[in-house]
Order: sequence, then C-alpha cells, then structure tokens
Amino acid sequence: MLDFKLVSAPPLAGYDQSFEGVTLRAPADLAIVSLALPLGGEAAAEKSVKTAYGAALPGIGKSALSKDGSARLVRLSPDAAFVIFTHATPDAEPHVAKKIKGAAYTTDQTDVWTGLEIAGPRARTALERICPIDLHPDSFDVGDAARTTMEHLGTLIIRTDEDTFLLMSGSSSAKSFLHAVETSIQNTA
Amino acid sequence: MIINHPLLGPRDAAEFIYLGDASLIDRPDWQDEGADEKFYEYGYLRDNPAGEHQELWYHEQGDRSWLVVTRNTLTHEISKVELARDVARARGRSK
Amino acid sequence: MTQVNRLTGGQVDRSQVLNFTFNGKAMQGHPGDTLASALLANGQRLVGRSFKYHRPRGILTSGSEEPNALVQLRSGAHQEPNTRATVAELFDGLSATSQNHRGSLEHDLMAVTDLMSPFLSAGFYYKTFMWPKAFWEKLYEPAIRKSAGLGRLSMQDDPDSYDKGFLHCDLLVIGAGPAGLSAALAAGRSGARVILADEDFAPGGRLNAETLEVDGMSGADWAAAAIAELNAMDNVRLMTRTTVYGAYDHGIYGALERCTDHLPTSAGKPRQVLWRIYSKRAVLAAGSTERPIAFGNNDRPGIMLAGAVRTYVNRYGVTPGQQVAVFTNNDDGWRTAADLAAKGIAVTNIIDTRDAPAVCEVPGARHIRDAAVMDTVGRKGLKAVTLTSGQVIPTDCLAVSGGWNPNVHLTCHQRGRPTWREDINAFVPGGDLPPGMAVAGAANGSLTLAAALSEGRNVANAQIKELGFTPSRKPAPKAEDEPSNGMAIWHIPESTKRAWVDQQNDVTVKDIKQSYREGFRSVEHLKRYTTLGMATDQGKTANIPALAIMANCTGKSLQDTGTTIFRPPYTPIPMGALAGRARGQDFRPFRLTPSHDWASKNGATFVEVGNWLRAQWFARPGEQGWRDSVDREALMTRGSVGICDVTTLGKIDIQGKDAADFLNVVYANAFGKLPVGKVRYGLMLREDGICYDDGTTARMSENHFVMTTTTANAVLVFRRMEFVRQCLCPDMDVHLISTTDGWAQFAVAGPNARNLLRKVVDEAHDLSNEGFPFMACGEVTVCGGTPARLFRISFSGELAYEVAVPARYGNSMIEALMKAGEEYNAVPYGTEALGVMRIEKGHAAGNELNGQTTALNLGLNGMVSSKKDCIGKTLAARPEMNRDDAIRLVGFRPVDRSVKLIAGSHFITKGDDATMANDQGWMTSVAYSPSLGHSIGLGFIKRGHERKGEIVRAVSPIHETEMEVEIVSAHFIDPEGERLRA
Repeated sequence: MLDFKLVSAPPLAGYDQSFEGVTLRAPADLAIVSLALPLGGEAAAEKSVKTAYGAALPGIGKSALSKDGSARLVRLSPDAAFVIFTHATPDAEPHVAKKIKGAAYTTDQTDVWTGLEIAGPRARTALERICPIDLHPDSFDVGDAARTTMEHLGTLIIRTDEDTFLLMSGSSSAKSFLHAVETSIQNTA
Repeated sequence: MIINHPLLGPRDAAEFIYLGDASLIDRPDWQDEGADEKFYEYGYLRDNPAGEHQELWYHEQGDRSWLVVTRNTLTHEISKVELARDVARARGRSK
Repeated sequence: MTQVNRLTGGQVDRSQVLNFTFNGKAMQGHPGDTLASALLANGQRLVGRSFKYHRPRGILTSGSEEPNALVQLRSGAHQEPNTRATVAELFDGLSATSQNHRGSLEHDLMAVTDLMSPFLSAGFYYKTFMWPKAFWEKLYEPAIRKSAGLGRLSMQDDPDSYDKGFLHCDLLVIGAGPAGLSAALAAGRSGARVILADEDFAPGGRLNAETLEVDGMSGADWAAAAIAELNAMDNVRLMTRTTVYGAYDHGIYGALERCTDHLPTSAGKPRQVLWRIYSKRAVLAAGSTERPIAFGNNDRPGIMLAGAVRTYVNRYGVTPGQQVAVFTNNDDGWRTAADLAAKGIAVTNIIDTRDAPAVCEVPGARHIRDAAVMDTVGRKGLKAVTLTSGQVIPTDCLAVSGGWNPNVHLTCHQRGRPTWREDINAFVPGGDLPPGMAVAGAANGSLTLAAALSEGRNVANAQIKELGFTPSRKPAPKAEDEPSNGMAIWHIPESTKRAWVDQQNDVTVKDIKQSYREGFRSVEHLKRYTTLGMATDQGKTANIPALAIMANCTGKSLQDTGTTIFRPPYTPIPMGALAGRARGQDFRPFRLTPSHDWASKNGATFVEVGNWLRAQWFARPGEQGWRDSVDREALMTRGSVGICDVTTLGKIDIQGKDAADFLNVVYANAFGKLPVGKVRYGLMLREDGICYDDGTTARMSENHFVMTTTTANAVLVFRRMEFVRQCLCPDMDVHLISTTDGWAQFAVAGPNARNLLRKVVDEAHDLSNEGFPFMACGEVTVCGGTPARLFRISFSGELAYEVAVPARYGNSMIEALMKAGEEYNAVPYGTEALGVMRIEKGHAAGNELNGQTTALNLGLNGMVSSKKDCIGKTLAARPEMNRDDAIRLVGFRPVDRSVKLIAGSHFITKGDDATMANDQGWMTSVAYSPSLGHSIGLGFIKRGHERKGEIVRAVSPIHETEMEVEIVSAHFIDPEGERLRA
C-alpha cells in the first residue's frame, strides 16, 4: 500500500483580497449538497428538512439560514434545493442525507462549485459589469438567490447580507470566474 | 428579449436556450397504429405561424426548467409563459 | 494665432488653457470646448475633405449629427478615424488630423476628382465598372478605395480595454434636454428608479445653447439646478457621455458610455462601457436636429446650421465668423441673428424665404424677404453668397436654417414608421412605438421650450403612474414658447451649381433627380441607388430634405413619399465596445481539469476541447515531435500502465424511483435490469434515428445511476434529458444534476492497472477479477480513507479502470497514481494517445458519431431494444436507413504498410472510376498504430461487415492521393476482448 495522503486543493483555496470598497474571498470549506424532492414526497421532504434544520425550505429564488445559523437552504426550483454549509471533510452528502433521514435525493455538489464572497459598499457597482440580475437592495433582498450567467459562466448568486453576495460558479472554470470578478472590481475602482 | 419566468420573474433571454415548436411535447406512442407516419410528422413537420407561436425554451442558465412561451413572431410580444411540465401534464402526458 | 474667434461668456473655463494640435499646428482651447469649438475659436474653418469629390469641408453642426468634420484623433495604436470633432471633448495634448486627402489638407492632390464630378454621379459605379467582371476586384475597387473614403485605421491592436454592464430601472429617460430633465425630475420625485442618459458631457441639451429662460433663470442655470437636484436623489442615475443607441425587445436599451475619451489616457480603465439597460418604461427625449437647405455650393467651410452657430456663440463663447449672414425659412433662424447681435457679432443680412415681416428686431441686420441663396464663393472658406436676385453678399459665415426634425430614430427600432406633420413640416413618431416607450419634447414634434418642459413632465408622470407610483404634484417648469413658424422649402431650384444634400456621402440634388429619372423613386431605392443616408452619420441632416426633393419630383406629398426607418445604432459604436472583454485570452472562459497544474509541470501540451484545456501529450526530453511522445505513451500503456485525466467526460447524477425507466427512454438499449454495482455502455439516438451520443452508466444503488457522456455533448445531453423528464415524462420520479466538475476522474489502463490501483485503493476493497470484474463499479476509499468511485471500464481495450475522487483531490491523486506506478514505469497519456488506442480498439468517437450515422452503420443495431420505446426508435426503423447495402463501420489497413492513410478518403471498388456514383463510403479516423507499426483507419463502407479481406481504393481528391487498402475488423487489438477481462 502506498503511503500517500491526498491533499485537498480546491481551485481558489485561500484567496482573500481587499480592494477599495470591496473585499473578495473564497470561503474555506464551503460544502454544498443538493436535495431533490421526490415526486409525491415533497411534503414529507420539506417536513424532514424543517425538522433537521429548524427552518422551512424557502420559496423558489430564496434562501434561509438554519435555526443555528450553520447552514443555508437555497431553493432553486420546485423540486431542487441546495444546503450550503461549512464542512471540511469530503462526506458532506452522507452528512446531509443522514440529517434529513433520506427524505430527499442527495448529491454532493461541493466540488462542482467554487465560491467567492464579494462584500462591501462597492460590491454592487462591480457586479453591474457581469451580472444581469437586478441587485438593487429593494429588488434583491437579503437571502435572495438567483442562477444566471456571468461572463458566459453559470453562476448562483445569493445575497447573504446587506452588501455581501456569495457567488458560486463551476469549479473547473474557477480561474476564469475569479478573473471576471476581479476585472469587474478593477474596472469600477 | 425578456422571458417572464412563471416562478422567477423576468429574465434575460440570454439565460435561455431555444428549442422550437411546443408540439414537440406531443410525442406519439410507439405502439400506435401508423406510429411511423406520426413520428415522421412529429419529427419533421412544423407550423410556421406569422403571429402567436407556442415554443419551448430551456432555462439553462437558471433553474433548468423547460418553458412553453407564447410569442408573437411578428412583434416578439410574449403573452404567456408556462412551465412545460404543467403543459405536458395538461396534454395528458402523465403516465 | 490664438483663439481669434473667442468671445466672452459661455460654458468654458477660461482659467485653464488646453493645448492641442490640428494637423500638427499648435492651438489652444479651454475645458468645456469640443474640438470643433476650439478649432473655430482658432479660426480653423477648413477641417477635412469630402468622401467622394475631395471637396474642402468645414463644420456644419454642433452635435452628433455632424456629416463633415470627421477627424482622426490621437496617434499610434490609439489612433481613431472618423470621429466627429463636434462631440470630441477637448483635452490637453489632444492631437487631431484631417482625413481623406493626398498631400496637405489645403492642397489635396485628389481634389481633381471634383472636376470629374459630371462623370461620377449616382449609379456611376454600377454602370461603369460592370465589365470586364474580373476587373472590379483587381483594378476598379482598389483604385476607388484609394481615392475615396474616410480615415485610416492604425493597423495595430486596439490598446484600450472595454467593458459591458447591466442596469435596471423603472424609467429610462433618453436625453437630458428640457423635456428629458423635466421628465427625470418628475419621475425622480415620485421615487421611481430613473436612469437619465445623455450623449453630451454637459447635460441640458439645447438649454446650454440658447438664451431662453426657465423658471426665471437662464436655461443653462436651470439645467444645472435640475442636475443638482437629480444628483441628490438616490433613485436617479445620471449618465453623461452616454448614448442610448438602440431600442430592443421588451424594454431593453443599448447604451454606450464613453468613460475616458475625454482624458489624455484611460489609465488602465475601460475606455468605453456598453450597457444593457433593462427598463420598465422609457421616455425618449432625444430632441431634434436642424436641417439645411440645399443650394448651389452649399458645402463650403463657413456654411453652418443656424442653431449650431448660436450654440458655438452661446455655449462655447466662440463665433464661427466675423460677418455673419442668416438664411432661413423659419422663425428659429432669427434667434441666431438676435443672439449673435446681442453678443456684438456683426449680422449683416437675414435672408428669409418667406415674404413676411421681421420676427424680431436685430440691430444692424438687413432683412431680405422672399429671397434665397443660390450660390456661394470661397473654395476653402466662405467669402460671399449670391442670392436668386443676383445680389452678392460678402460673408464668412452663413447660418442656414431649414427647420427642425424630431429625432425619431429610436421610435423606429422595432419597425415603427414616423408620420408626417404638415404644421411643423416634419416627421414625428408614429403610433407604433416600441412597447413601453413614450416620446416627449422636440423628439415628439413639440419643438418649443414650454411645450417640451410640460410634455416631459406629463409623459413621465403617465409612465410611472402605470407602474404604480404616485406622481409628484409639482408643476412643470415655467418658460415661454418661442416663435416657431416655418415654411416648407428644401432646395433652391434656381441654383445651377451642385447643391449638396448628403454632405458625408457627397449626394447632390442632381443625383436625387437622376435617381427619379432612372426609376429609382421609392425611398428605399433612392437610398440604395444614391447611397443617401448610408454614411456614418446615417443622413441625420440629409434624409428629410432628400425625401422632400424626391416628393417634388414625383408630385407626391411627403406623407405619401414616406421615409426610410432607422436601425440601431443611433451613432457609431466601436467594434471594441461590442467585443467588450471578449478578446484574446478572455474571449471565452477556460475549464481546467483537476490535474492541470501537475500536467503543466510534467511537459503537457494542451489542446482546447470545447472550453476545456486537456493534456494532448506529455513530451519528454529528446523527443523530436508529438508523434514520438504519443507513440511512447500508447506503447507504454499497452506494455504496462498509463494514466489519463478523463474528468472532462460529462457526469450526470440520476436519482429517483423511476430512474431506470427514464434511462430506458433516453438510451436505445435497456437499463432496467442492470444490476447494482455494474456499468453498461449506453447509446443515445436522436428522434430521427441517428446516433446522438454514447457513454457508460453505472448503477450505484437501486434508484441511483451515474451517467457519463462525451465531453462535447455533456451540456446537450443534460438539456435533452431534462426535456424528456419535464416534457415527455412529467410524472416520472427522476432527478438530474450535473457532477462533471465535482469528480476528478482518471483512466488507469494497461496490464499493470490492477497492480497499480491495488497500492492506491484501500485494502478493504476487493480488486480481484472475481471481486471486481469487467464492468463492475462501486464506492471505494483511496489513500487511507478518501472517498472515491471505481469503474472497471476500458476505452483503450486494456485492463482498465476509471477512478474518481472529489475534484479537490485531483491534482494530488495523479501524484499518488504516478508514485504508485513508479515500479511499473507508469506513464501519463494525453488525448492523442487516447485517440490512437481507441482507433486500435475500434471504438467509435466523434468522427464516427457525426450526426449522419445510425446504430446499424456502427454495428450497434443489436443494442436497440425491441421490447421498449426509446427516443429515435420508430424513425430508426425506416427502410432507407436499414438497406442491405448500408455503410458499416470496419477497419482499414494499407496494402503497402509504409503508406499513411488519409482521413476523409472515399472508398471505391477496385476497377471502378473514382466518381460520386461509385462512392462506397469514407475513412473516418486514422492513426499510426505504434503497436502494429503501420497506419490504421476506421471507416464506413457499404456492406463492410461482409467484405473483410477485400482490397478497395481509398481516394482523396482533395489531397490528390489514392492507395489500396484492405478491409479488416475494426478491432485491431485484442479482438476477443481478453485483455480487458483479464
């Protein structure tokens, strides 16, 4: 047996930069597990999620924090949702499956995505250059979530705080995505 | 163009992929009499109306839903947007 | 010479001097100047040469409608041709040069073309350069291109950067003149989200150019106060230097913001930003454009539009001449005379086509009634004008007013047709506006100030009320309506000299009359025959006079003559702005495989596969070319073990109670009975029966499958599966999610594959041939507990596995595999060796699944299950697709083993002529097989499965090659599949 420990190296691990009026960082150990609500079993799945997280699965295009604040539930479509939480080990999916007692189909999405958190008073100005979604505070509430495309890359954007957005895009194109966001920040500085 | 997604609200058409005539939902039954003729019509023959047209759009850069969009081909006015799944069920595609 | 024509007043900052050059000559201006106003201040009337006749030209207008004063700005790579001096903001160090002359601007050697003008009238090219046909491209066009034209490109890469962006608003107000400001104030006060965009750097529109009062203030002061109020509103975004250039579907507008064009350098910031504005409603307040009157030699430098003349005087504090005459057919021309006289500029004569009393008192000016200018003198600058009466009036600046045209352009962008309003002699927006748009002020034909201000407010209020806002009760700003009567007169028929209509494309009244005589009478024909309105200014000052002249010819009314309509863009948009960031490396995003860093460090050459960068081969020192590397990789893999990153294959996670039934619909072959822990090859058809994609699908548990697709079709297959799920089988419990990026997946192939993996996969997992046979799959752990998936599948034909780990471990995983493989001389291989080995094994890939081939062609017809329906099943059964002589996939080898096969060659039976009629099929893939030591190929040939051993000709007329090849099994290596089951 080979004595070799695999090293975890997500594409943007450790990225953390400050620009004038904006910070941009890749949150560490961001785990994502998708939930698919079984046809006919939606109510049971929703109930199970509520029991597990102390928060109801929100409406489509919304997200909600679990009661203890440790996980964010994002509803993407009538039968699909994400659970986003901090989890270092590669067992996010069984962790969630156990928590909801198998009431929904679960798929590990952690390594499918790369996350970037953009925050600060100039965050919206920078995102204006790549994000077709209206991010005006009155139009995109804290907790709102939308999937869209930024610089040709599919992106999930979630407003997690007053001036803070979590952006998630494909991990294979993480470098292009980072470049797109950094360029937007620099172009609007 | 903007498509007013029934669940997500107005979204730029750039998020969508166009497929074509919503009659593609009405896939014939392979065991029907004359299935070959029906599949031929299903596969190859389309109406090309100058006016209201029901067509399939896929929200690929969004929630991955297929939509039936009623669009006027002369004005681009979109008068109705439905989830294709609902339309399929209404057209009797439930098993 | 220092600013001989500079006056007092205006909105320029005289405390600062800006130095600039024109054709190398040093000049000075001030902040607030345009290049045009600064040139005029310095007494420079001659600015360029015309497109076709090389006529000396000056400045006609003071805005974006300018046809004449086109210059090249900046130098070197930054050089930009065809910029309008009338909108170019002056900055310190600006260098501008004139265009389209050989030799100096003053002594253009090409001016001789003007003497040839009798031969160069409308339709000249069409008639003259017809024969011989070949001469057009080789002789005529290059010669014409050399003599005609505008500025020159730098021929270097554009050094500036550009950006794009997205904006949202309740109300977009286009134009910040009186109507636009009034509209934006009204909407802003109601709380609606407003974007107010104006092409000028100083908002205010004509308010900055006139001496009219608003709310008891000067127009410019009122505009400044309005801007201050708007700037203080959080819900209003004021965008200057921003041209809204197009009205698109569903309230989307295109706008170009010029961010750094007014600065000496862009300092690394985007020069321009192309905005996509999503509006719920819009108010078009684009104002109006003055039109000239056509008379003999009306294109001389010094002949300007009357409104422009007073703009230069009032706004820029510059007089275009010292002895000014006014030629008008309407009241507005009189205001130029009055404003100039008030500034102490000599206005000698007011020539009015109307037999009517003076509109106002203009000290020192002689009013000539019922008169017209028919000719002018002064080749490089106006000296005098001749009236129809024969009277000659000396003047260095003739201010011409032929009335005002509403700027209806954006109302036409969705095929709206303007309608003629007889009372103002102008086209106004028709009823069929782009949905959500309303028009206010001069753009709507409300050409006077008070009307524009109140219409702006009222239209904006009506728009936002529809959106549910409560309009503020504040009344419209107060002003008076200025006199605005006019007479419809377009050209002076007494003129015997050429009278220009479209100055940028050198179209004259004579050309229009000729167009009429030769039968090109509809407005669409007129435009195309004469090129009227087809220059960069799109005929903003030319179109309406031309239509009126055509209407005179035909005897029709202007309403019946109609007008051409407008397309975006309203003003030219640089290609760089349309490209935005999508240049060079940033043209599109890249997708990197998890082992990309390792591969870069280990000699990989990468190839673009869609957006992916994949390792194509790994060169080692001493290798002479790619073939050396590829041959070695294939041989070492077949000899011991090789490792390939196959992460790019699409991966789709499929779950649900009906998942197996669902797979039965999308795949041609059956999946219902696939046991848990097994993988099956799957073939997808299109509904027309043609093969679509292939891959493997593993059953991880009863209701959980993992599908792989080809790299190229990953997105398409997912899309189609969602179509089946939602549109065809809406009540199946099945759920799809892509996991392509989530797993780093490596093929480990070769006789030592198991031995290698045994060192990586944790010991608890049985890898023996019995415990984990060919086509087995399962969840395992590797390297001491890291979760992984293992599939025993083979593309190379060797004993092979694919092992997948969470992508974050991908780079580390290949290191582990290579380290474990050290004792076996493990080799990483790229897509080329992968391709060689799949051809050796006879596996179909993109070249074979080319959108024309059926399961029968591929020899996979046995896979199409007869027991169930699937996409493509019925139409695949069509007789023509199942002919006895259908092409079949087989292998080919050259009879002369030293010959290299050529993909794309067509097969001809020996003894037949190489004609289409005798075509038997074609070669799809070829490779040099290092294992066999010669070239091999896959291809389709009629009845191929029955013809093994036959020698046919492989002919490639493109390569002019022909060779004899033998039909063989497609499985060049291990035809019995013993290796992969070992």
